[in-house]
Amino acid sequence: MDHGARLRWFARDVLPHEPDLRKWLAGRLRGLDSCDVDEVVQEAYARLWTADAEAIRNTRAYLYVTARHIVGEQVRRSRIVAIDLVADLDALNIVDEEMNVHRRLSGQEELARLHEILQTLPPKCREAFELKKFQDFSQRRIAEHMGIAESTVEKHLAKALRLVSEAMKQAPAGAENGKRRERKFWKWG
Amino acid sequence: MEKGVSASSGNGADIDARASAWAIRSAERALGEQEQKELDSWLAADSRHLGAYVRAQALWLDLDRVAALDGGARRNPSPPARKRVWRRYAMAASLAVVVAGGAVAYDQLAGRVATGRSEVRRIALEDGSIVTLNGNSAVQIRYEDDIRRVVLRRGEASFEVAHNSERPFVVSADGVKVRAVGTEFVVGIEDDGVEVTVEEGVVAIAGRASGLAAPRYIRRNEQFVAAATGPRKAMLDSVDVERRIAWRKGLLVFNGQRLGDAAAEVNRYSDLRVTIDDPTLARAEFMGVFKLGDARAFANAAASAFNGEVHRRGNELVLVRQQNSPSH
Repeated sequence: MDHGARLRWFARDVLPHEPDLRKWLAGRLRGLDSCDVDEVVQEAYARLWTADAEAIRNTRAYLYVTARHIVGEQVRRSRIVAIDLVADLDALNIVDEEMNVHRRLSGQEELARLHEILQTLPPKCREAFELKKFQDFSQRRIAEHMGIAESTVEKHLAKALRLVSEAMKQAPAGAENGKRRERKFWKWG
Repeated sequence: MEKGVSASSGNGADIDARASAWAIRSAERALGEQEQKELDSWLAADSRHLGAYVRAQALWLDLDRVAALDGGARRNPSPPARKRVWRRYAMAASLAVVVAGGAVAYDQLAGRVATGRSEVRRIALEDGSIVTLNGNSAVQIRYEDDIRRVVLRRGEASFEVAHNSERPFVVSADGVKVRAVGTEFVVGIEDDGVEVTVEEGVVAIAGRASGLAAPRYIRRNEQFVAAATGPRKAMLDSVDVERRIAWRKGLLVFNGQRLGDAAAEVNRYSDLRVTIDDPTLARAEFMGVFKLGDARAFANAAASAFNGEVHRRGNELVLVRQQNSPSH
């Protein structure tokens, strides 16, 4: 897979699991102040990126196992660790358990969420972002359009991405009961 | 990758912030030699930097997809262009054809109204009720003094009924009768049978083909199907109902439907057909918002969502997977 295809794979198959992974990690890492959720996610992504993507059959399971492994290394490194954390790590059978429950956010929820996040961007930042993503302007055109330097456009875009990235770390409201809305049928006599 | 998560160096959010800046730089332009060196050494310094950089790049890419859908839905609320001339019936006096926005004036009551593929028509009736006709559908409107009758001949129509208990509003479709009591609902003649979905209020269902001995009431967010296998009722939620009637606004909305089913919906409104040869691809869950009849936009979005390609074959847009796509 080339770089682009790999990034698409990451966007499509890995990112959707992140909110759940973060929530799970936040619960596990309470006793470990030397290790934060961001860092475990970053380390897990680095390992996933360098792994053989073709061989990963179940991305979610792979991601959780990797993250659990990273936490385990950290636990071994620390001197004092609450016993129940270690037990918890070993006993956990996240893969089977979580696989069934997992549902990807519906398109509308995802759109609605992004919408909300975009509303909170500072005006200039949001304008640059919308010109880039909605209108497909080049950085130069955005600069001309907004009457600012290209390097400033770049700063606005980077800020937009950073803010979206921070906002996306929060678990969305719909993720908890993300089970498919089932239609119930019954017969009439 | 020996490092693991070290105890101190930098905080995770700071790393993500730097990663965002690098992701924008490398995505939007070629890096200078000095910058490339800087990036390389930053990435080499800590495996978490690589992870954060990958995450930021993937997010930026993902925003493309979502922004494209979002931008499309928000910026183009206008209905698909309709160039076809309204087929005039002798009696139809003044008809303007609009999907969303102004309604059609309609002061003659015995007219048959039909739509072709890729058009949706909104018809205002004299009593203030509104009929919206989906693509490839036909209704006949027969208003009498004491009853407002509409016959659905084929396809699907949605009804926003002005309340008047003195003059019931009755839609019949293939022997199923739907009586409204000031409400909004959709009636469709589907392969499976006549389908009635209620958006607001209550309707009563009866008629020889309904399979019912006595009239039944269907309420908001409920759906009734007079299927060959017997009548059945389904509970929908409002999101689902909204999705199903998006055609009224000239839109098709998918949120997790199978790609194959989604393509069938798209094809209903388009002469250019989308074909999916790969059965695995046809089962993939898909989301997006499209203008009715825009098969090309649909095919392209599906291709980019599933790492596929679109090939034109005569009147078809054939969706195939790229050879090197990941095995999922």
